Amino acid sequence: MISLDTARELEPYQDEPAQLPAGANGKVGVLRMSFERRGDRTILDDLYRQSPLLVQRALYWDEEMPELPCIMILTTSGGVLQGDRLRIDVDMAPGTQAHLVTQAATKIQEMDANYGTQIQTFTLADDAYLEFLPEPVIPYRGSRFVTDSRVRLPESATMLYAEVLQPGRKHYRDGELFAYDLFSSTLRAERPDGRQLFVEKFVVSPGRFEVARTGVMDRFHIFGNVVLLTSPERAARVFDRTSAPVWDEDTPLASAVSRLPNDAGLIFKVLGQETEPVRAAVRAFCVAAREEVTGRTFPPAFSWR
Amino acid sequence: MRAMVETLKLLQFGDSVFPVGAFSFSNGLEMAVQHEVVHDRVTLQDFVRTVTRLAATGDGVALLAGHRGATSGDLDRIRHADEAVCLRKINEEMRTMSVRMGRKLAEASTRIVGESLLKKRISESANGVPVTYPVALGVLFAELGVSEEDAFAAHQYGAASMVLGAAVRLMRVDHLDAQSILYAVNEKVPDDYREVRTASLDDMQNFAPHIDVLAAAHQHAHVRMFMS
Repeated sequence: MISLDTARELEPYQDEPAQLPAGANGKVGVLRMSFERRGDRTILDDLYRQSPLLVQRALYWDEEMPELPCIMILTTSGGVLQGDRLRIDVDMAPGTQAHLVTQAATKIQEMDANYGTQIQTFTLADDAYLEFLPEPVIPYRGSRFVTDSRVRLPESATMLYAEVLQPGRKHYRDGELFAYDLFSSTLRAERPDGRQLFVEKFVVSPGRFEVARTGVMDRFHIFGNVVLLTSPERAARVFDRTSAPVWDEDTPLASAVSRLPNDAGLIFKVLGQETEPVRAAVRAFCVAAREEVTGRTFPPAFSWR
Repeated sequence: MRAMVETLKLLQFGDSVFPVGAFSFSNGLEMAVQHEVVHDRVTLQDFVRTVTRLAATGDGVALLAGHRGATSGDLDRIRHADEAVCLRKINEEMRTMSVRMGRKLAEASTRIVGESLLKKRISESANGVPVTYPVALGVLFAELGVSEEDAFAAHQYGAASMVLGAAVRLMRVDHLDAQSILYAVNEKVPDDYREVRTASLDDMQNFAPHIDVLAAAHQHAHVRMFMS
């Protein structure tokens, strides 16, 4: 099992919390989910969970895709705490489909010792279709978080992966912008035979290199990053619909799509100052992706989310 | 006298006019100028510093791996570094830039220097992992007896001078402004080197969503002077 504790960027933070020790009982969250086909539907065939991560059951709330299991990932501790070690493994059998979301924003709480880590693996078989669309991540002041995600899929499968990164609790007290110590995120994709497709790694440590500067975040606060891993034909259709770049000075909002290396698919990046316009742009890309890949659209967004 | 010979090699192959085609890329600056994100000396210097920081924490790590691979005569290690660069160029134009300049450097040095690991890499790359510019530069300097510190410095210098070369053609800055910026930004090179010298290929990282968006938008621009 891989561990992120030896990650280079975590070297300065190897002290133990005054509370429960890092990785102690109750701080190692585990989620293991596998999906199988049953008739026309996909079912959550196997589920193992360990607090602070929690999944209760698959629901079928998507009216456009009633056979699609929708999974809400919860945390029982109100976010990521110092010393937390989270692990999520998702396994998709041939021809299965699933929609994974989180219940609320991932709040990476203030830290004064140690760090939190998260390892995610997504393994897709032929013709599988997975949407992983968690709520935004909010790294609080002084937080340190490393996440590592690996996707393994054949060309016939599709994964849609979206993350929205906030600058902190922007409207809390005088505003908390990029006051975290470390946010490190790696996403890598490969084929079932081990052939690597692409790697994207961010190590954001605002105290070491300013974030609110030209070229990094400029005047923007919210960063949306969507990766669509799919066959070149489907990627080409989504690209045709979404490739016009946006540069809107008034909102403000900036976004553009690129083709990933090795025909892995597309990557859509969007920057904004407030969350809603970024989420709307992410959603529009996801709608185009789902429509081109599955032939079905998204139902309207929940009005309370 | 040996040091003199190495300095001359460093100057020749690290020169911004060495024919690898650096002049045809702006590293995102063209779009940044078009959107008035970069519009004066201060914003240009900021932009250049962001570019050199990315060069250090990303390609710079691969350059060091290439240099070390060549020092130990390890072609696999060099190929592995090239692969790491290719996997991490998530923007098409940046990919093109890295591979095109890498091939040109390998071809030019083969003609100038002769037999080398770079020649082996370029001959095996037809059906496999392409040669990339940062790794090729590391390999070449190792073979020429130039230290990894100097190789790293030359790469940082190249990243800055590419953008500044584009800047004098894209916006109202003169050559002396560009040189002042280059001088100021170069002061960061030793710090960047100290920070990344122990990094492995897995540690290579780039956080620059703003440049990423500009770079991705560039290919749709109607009027383009540069290829990135």
